Order: sequence, then C-alpha cells, then structure tokens
Amino acid sequence: MEPIPRKHWIGTPLCLRGWQRNIESKKRKYNGAREIFVGLQNYISLVNDAIFLNSLKVTLVLNLFINPIQIAMALLLALLLNSNTLSIRVFRTLIMIPIGISLAIASVIWGFALNPHAGLVNSMLSLFGIPHQPFLTSSTQALWCVILIATWKGLAYWMVIFLAGLQEIPEQLYEAAIIDGANSWQCFWGITLPLLKRVLLFVLVADTTANFLLFVPIFVLTRGGPQMSTNVLMHESYSRAFVYSDMNSALTIVTVILVILLSIIGIQFKLLKASE
Amino acid sequence: MFSRRVKGVIRKAPLYGVLTLFTLFSLLPLIWAFSSSFKPTERAMADVTSFSLKAFLPVPFTLRAYSALFKAGFGRSIWVTFIVSLSTMALGIIVCSLAGFAFAKIHFPFKNALFILVLISFLIPFEAIAIPLYLVAERLGILNTLYALVLPGIANGLVIFLFRQFFMGIPNELLEAAFVDGASWIKIYSKIVMPLSKPALVSGSLFLFVFQWEAFMWPLIAVHERDLRVIQVALAYLRTQYFVAWDQVFAGVVISAIVPLVLIFPLQSYYIRAITLTGLKE
Repeated sequence: MEPIPRKHWIGTPLCLRGWQRNIESKKRKYNGAREIFVGLQNYISLVNDAIFLNSLKVTLVLNLFINPIQIAMALLLALLLNSNTLSIRVFRTLIMIPIGISLAIASVIWGFALNPHAGLVNSMLSLFGIPHQPFLTSSTQALWCVILIATWKGLAYWMVIFLAGLQEIPEQLYEAAIIDGANSWQCFWGITLPLLKRVLLFVLVADTTANFLLFVPIFVLTRGGPQMSTNVLMHESYSRAFVYSDMNSALTIVTVILVILLSIIGIQFKLLKASE
Repeated sequence: MFSRRVKGVIRKAPLYGVLTLFTLFSLLPLIWAFSSSFKPTERAMADVTSFSLKAFLPVPFTLRAYSALFKAGFGRSIWVTFIVSLSTMALGIIVCSLAGFAFAKIHFPFKNALFILVLISFLIPFEAIAIPLYLVAERLGILNTLYALVLPGIANGLVIFLFRQFFMGIPNELLEAAFVDGASWIKIYSKIVMPLSKPALVSGSLFLFVFQWEAFMWPLIAVHERDLRVIQVALAYLRTQYFVAWDQVFAGVVISAIVPLVLIFPLQSYYIRAITLTGLKE
C-alpha cells in the first residue's frame, strides 16, 4: 500500500496554514468583491424563489410521511421483539443488521434493487403479477423510494431505542393489570404507552431532525430529480454551495432549515407535555 | 402436553410470520448484494431479470470483481478510511473521556451551559453544520487534507455524554481517598477512573470508529482529490462511473459493509448501549 502523500497529512503545520489563508483571503477581499451586510435581502429573495419553495414543499411532504411511518413501524417491531426466548433473540439479531450498514451503502444497494429494467424489486413484484414500476425514475414514486431506503436503514435503529425503553417497564405492572382482567390492547394503551412517553418524545425529536436533514440517498441516487421531486432543502443548499458556488444562498437555506427544525421540535415538546 | 405445544405454535404463527417478513426485508437486499459481488455481471443480471432464487446464491463463484476493484485503486480508499477512522477513534477517546470526566467530577464555571451545548451537538445531525464547517475549514486552510476529515469528528457529543454517565457512577469517596494521598486530577483520571471504565471505553471507541467509517456528507465536501476519497464517497462515485459493472460496485459494498459489521457483531451490547443511552437518560 502506497503511503498517503505528505502534503495531505502534515503539510504546513495547522496554525501556519490558517495564518497563510487569512492573508490570502484578505488580499482577495481588496482585489475583488467584498462581502457587505445586506440585512434580510438573502431571505427576501428566497421567498420569491420557486426552486426553494418547491424544495421546502418536498421536505415537508417527506417528513409528514416518513416520521410517522418509521416511528409506528419501529414501535410495532419493538413490541413484537420484546421477549427473551431464543427464537425472538435470533429474529432480533437478524433484523438489527442494517444498523451496521451506512446510509450511503444502503442507497447504492437499493439503487440497483430498484432499477426499473433489471432490478430485484421489479422481478420479485412480477412473481405476484405486478407490472414493472419506474421507481426512482418517476417523479411520483422517487420520493417514496427515498422513504423506503431511509426506513430500511433507520427502522432497526429506532427499534433498539424503543426496546430498551420497553425493557425498563416493570413486569409486575402487566401482571397486576392482567389479574384485573385487562387484555393486551388495554395494557398497551394503559401501561406501555404512558411509561414510554419520554422515549417516544426522544425518538420523535431525533427522527425528525435526522429526516429533516436527509441528504445521502438523494445525493447518491436522484440528485434531487426527477423534475425536482426529491429536491429536499438539504440537497438544494448543497447544490447552491458546491454546484452553483452561491455560498450565501446556501447558508441562508441552512439557517431556514434549522429554524423550521427548532420550531417543529418545540411544537412536539408542547404537544407531548400537554397530553400528560 | 403435545396439544398445548401445538396450540402455542399456532397462536404464535402470526407473530413469526410478521417477524419473518421484517427479516426478509432487512436481509434480502444484503444477501443479494453479497452474492452478486461474487459472480460475473451478466450472470448477476440474468438471475434477476428472469428471477430465480439463484439471485441470492454466489454461483458461479469468482473473485474477478474484487481484483478489478483493487486494480482500479479502491485499496487506497480503504486505507484512507482506516487511517481517518482509527485516528479519530484514538484522539476522540482522549478528548471525550477527559471532557466527560470534567462534566462528571469537577466543578467549574458555566458547567451546565457547556453541558447543554454538548447535548445539543448530538441532537443535531452533522449534516446541519457541514456547509458552515466547510467555510471554517477553508479559513483554516485544511480542505483537502486528512486534518479536515479527522478534526471535526474528534469531539463527539454522544461519546462525551457516554463517558460522563459512566463516570457519574464511580463513587466520589474513591477519588477523595486518592486526593488525600496527594494524587493530581490527571493521575486520578489515568490511574483510577480510566482503568475502571472499560465498558465505556469499548462503547465509545466503537461508536467513534463506526461514525467516521460511515460518514458521507462531510468527506464529500471537505475533500476533492481522488487520493483522499473515503470508501463511502468512492462507492457513490463508482456507482455513477460503472453503472454497468454491477459486480464491482457490489464488491465495494461488501468490503465497506463488512468492517463495521465484524466490529459491531461481537460487541453488539456495547454498541447498543451507546445508541440507547441517549433515549433513556435525562
């Protein structure tokens, strides 16, 4: 294995590099354009920006579906796997394997599996007589494919957190409830859910933040397409920064994302507090 | 007795049915990718287009994809990723355990405010700060270097939190006794606290390593040179370059997935502790 060239590793010592750069950027400022304070101008221009508005819509739609789907499925899975028999432990280990697969790799695998012409999913669907689907190449299905991929990777992760929460609930509570004649449905609403509230709140907040900033499957598979149907805010800000070299506009979008995110988290906290 | 067992199985059949579906959903894509990496592309494609269960078996077996991948220079990405992940892990353990120690055992001004910052830093995913961080890295002049890949990953909020929680459980009397004997903070940390903290050490190291191994957006923007591409980014480019050479892309997938899996599998409980800690503790 050839070693990594010195310039990448040590080069000039860290502090010197920073100093050099500052001199360079000062020179640049005097030669060319200077940054000036523009007030809210960057935000005002976003309001009339159709591409931005579209990606805002895409991000909100994505989150409206992906978060409830992931949380409901993860909770269901955790309830099913909440026992310590040998067979359940085997299922648990197998279902947890995607936790160790990165989102980038998951996207690459699913990209091939969802290939419209020679993909695994289409050929398995045709076993059930379902015609070939366009998946990532269709502007109506691509966002659902992104949801599928992110859920495949995220499901077990959130499940593990729910499972840890479930195992903290004392067994005696269920025993007492069953003696009083409660069925498992009543046990779930009366014991499990109330005692799981804190874990649920955490998963709700953490899952929403993760999906609001979802970037990898979109970058790897669709680059926002087809017809901007998967162009989430994070991808839009990435392309403004690194494809169109419009750093100011990109940072404005990042700020917008963070503000929306913080307000959503605030609302979620309020709602869960109110229902207590 | 027998009929009761049969009844038990029948009652549990829907449960096992649903769990089997979830298991297939989780594993089939991986088994397919694994098998396809060991056969010629034409065969892999043929097994899918006229679907048969052979799609999930690595026959006819060949390592051609792997040798082609390494000839194309993929070995370099593996090497870079190992260096980045291991140095992040080593430096991160030192920084995060020291920080965790301070938060758990030492009183200092603004402790709570700083701790809230640590909590926020792991509640907000790295993607949120990637673009602003790019500007910082540019000012520091470290874009396109290993510094840019390693430095931002060292101070990890979750690992600091993990160490702090663990250190809180170590009784203060133990430290006070050492104080009375004239030991310094650094001696207490290195001679008493750290040797007691092997579980936190394993969880933290594993988490830091896997976090870096799987990082995507930051390595993508912090480094342009091919020489410094980490595995995850190299794979994404490989996919667009060789859209037809399935086998090679799948071989890359297998190599990059196998490392975290081999580490996590035997140390499952440690990794899960790192994940679940955040959801359960205040």
